[in-house]
Amino acid sequence: MITAIAFYLMAAVALVSAVLVVTLRNTVHCALFLGLSLAAVAGVFGTLGADFLFASQILIYVGGIAVLMIFAVMLMGRTADLTLRQVNQEWLAALLVCAITAAGLWRTAKAYLGTAAASAPAPATKALGRLMLGDYVIPFELISLVLLAALLGAVFFTKKEEGGKT
Amino acid sequence: MTLTLAHYLALGAGLFVIGIFGALTRRSVIGILMSIELMFNAANINLAAFNRFLHPEGVTGQAFALFIMTVAAAEVVVGLALVLAIYRRWDKVYMEKIDILRG
Repeated sequence: MITAIAFYLMAAVALVSAVLVVTLRNTVHCALFLGLSLAAVAGVFGTLGADFLFASQILIYVGGIAVLMIFAVMLMGRTADLTLRQVNQEWLAALLVCAITAAGLWRTAKAYLGTAAASAPAPATKALGRLMLGDYVIPFELISLVLLAALLGAVFFTKKEEGGKT
Repeated sequence: MTLTLAHYLALGAGLFVIGIFGALTRRSVIGILMSIELMFNAANINLAAFNRFLHPEGVTGQAFALFIMTVAAAEVVVGLALVLAIYRRWDKVYMEKIDILRG
């Protein structure tokens, strides 16, 4: 019962702030609502009993990615942007694409209307740790390589070129 | 009002569709990156929900969601670095203005 209330609350917050992210004109507000939406998704993970995902969603997404977005918005901000349209002319076609996608996804989802949870959720952190250092140790090491490459790429792309060409 | 898997799938589908709409219609590059983050989140919700409802004895879905989170973090770091480099070099933020590859 409490889980259902929490789910509906978090889902409403996530969906409403996601709509605000894609429609608002002020990009700073968009970034802040993105943080709210990601935090609400963390709450949805909580109702699923995924405790480690809940914590890492808040650490990585709310604490990392949303803050990074706000930094980028502030670095690139221009006051003229506040009055410009932020949405292009193709919104009608985009709505059509969205409607078709939503219809297809719902056709898949409604097959699971009767699938309720069989048991109470158990803590997953220990099992996740065993999985990451057991069966999935090679993807785990590869993902650290991906992170290193992303770090190097970010440094490479943002450094100033020698000789004042940039 | 017991929660079923379809509830979570519907939430994931809603977030994904909103993300598609944003990625197709936003003019600024940062707005598109934010919409892509929304789509990653929808996929993560679906993975965790399938894990909870169909295979509650394992945690493979949650492990995949963790991998997706890491890849999303790497993607947003490189994407924002590219956006900042474009902004510094050409002073352009909007997608339709970035057209130097047009013949």
